[in-house]
Amino acid sequence: MPEEFEPKIVAFLCKWCSSAGSDLAGVSRMEYPSNVVPITVMCSGSVSPLYILSAFNRGADGVLVSGCHPGDCHYIKGNYYARRRIALLNKLLEFIGLEPQRFQMSWVSAAEGVKYTQIIKDFVKELKPLGPQTKLGRNL
Amino acid sequence: MVNLEDLKKEARQILKDGKAKYIIGYKKGANDLMPTPAFITKPEDAEDLVWNPACFHNLTHFLVDEKRRKAKEKEPDERPVGIVVKGCDSRAIITLLQEKFLNREDVYILGVSCENTGVLDEKKLAKKIKGKKVKKVEFDEKNNFIITTPDGKTKIPAEEILAEKCIECKANFPVIYDVLFGEKVERNIDNPFKSLEKIESLPREERWTFWKEQLDKCIRCYACRSVCPMCYCDECVADTINFAVTADTTAEEKAQKIKWVEKSPVSSENFAYHLVRAIHLAGRCIDCGECERACPMDIPIRLLNKKLEKEAKELFDYDAGFDPEQPPLVSCFKDEDPEDFIR
Repeated sequence: MPEEFEPKIVAFLCKWCSSAGSDLAGVSRMEYPSNVVPITVMCSGSVSPLYILSAFNRGADGVLVSGCHPGDCHYIKGNYYARRRIALLNKLLEFIGLEPQRFQMSWVSAAEGVKYTQIIKDFVKELKPLGPQTKLGRNL
Repeated sequence: MVNLEDLKKEARQILKDGKAKYIIGYKKGANDLMPTPAFITKPEDAEDLVWNPACFHNLTHFLVDEKRRKAKEKEPDERPVGIVVKGCDSRAIITLLQEKFLNREDVYILGVSCENTGVLDEKKLAKKIKGKKVKKVEFDEKNNFIITTPDGKTKIPAEEILAEKCIECKANFPVIYDVLFGEKVERNIDNPFKSLEKIESLPREERWTFWKEQLDKCIRCYACRSVCPMCYCDECVADTINFAVTADTTAEEKAQKIKWVEKSPVSSENFAYHLVRAIHLAGRCIDCGECERACPMDIPIRLLNKKLEKEAKELFDYDAGFDPEQPPLVSCFKDEDPEDFIR
């Protein structure tokens, strides 16, 4: 039986909310797919579009950027900046023809372990039918 | 109509009075059609200045060079630099002012209004006159272009050979200037993002095929980066090695230096380069169309920038290059920014 396609997801999680949220999911022993590679960043506002493009370039099948809910940012307004930047990148990636499901953003607070697992579950479910991401992956 | 004599007279006068150290403008080039950038230092050389529909260069990137040169001089000449700008170029100056790259007193702006026309597109013109040699291009009273070829004069309606950027132009007269030549003519454009319609209407996979076909042509000559007045970073993420390599640099250090984009002109790296460039120009690109004109491989790079210009307008109601006081697009936010794409 052929092995089922397992997408690779790179998740940029902000240290203060989303990373703590994913930690909560872990310590509470909630189950969620192991397809995600979490990268803790100081703030979702510090995620440069270059990181996201680079993740796709190195073969990620999906990229998630997650930060604190609006108004909850540890640095007051980092997530507002992220929201603008990511919205623009989202539109650009869609314009060049990348599947919009491959790039997602979410707000996950430190108390939302359940929400985090749900987001990852949904993400993996959406990516599976798409197959591997070959459009932006490195082909040197 | 722009009176060239007035422009020359003003240039001569400011050089004579020492109000500017030199003037950047256009002069007759080696080829009869295309003018070449001119750096005029002596009042008597102001005679060389020209203004015609083939003055498509955006000269503002010479201001970036000027700033670099000045920074190296021991006793810099503090006088401003005079520059001849069209409407689109003046928006580039505004963006440079907005980003505090330039000071207003460093430039003396000689604005020329495109009125109802604009500049022509070389490629469209070549097709129109079937490759004949062009002796001269002029504007006429009714905003047509008059092209002189060895076979005589032909009158071509402006819209047939106008550059794409001029068809969608938002500023047909300079937004900022010290002296203005020509008139401020109000012009209404029904759809400033018309060129995007064709691609946006395609299904996703066809859009991908289109861009892949286009960007695969890229030879990574970086002409688009060199010609862009907004690409003034000292170090660019697209350069593989942009750190100092000394005798002490170990092979390990070199290997560990992050390479965001590889130099090889292959599909994935071309996408990475062009997408990064587009996103770095979001809210800064003033649509002078120079990247596309300079591109030796005819890649429609302008469309990527245009797309982000459109999104900036629709999502955030932001127009680049009109107000030097407004905060840059990605360094500001509003509470009501859209977040329907966020889970």
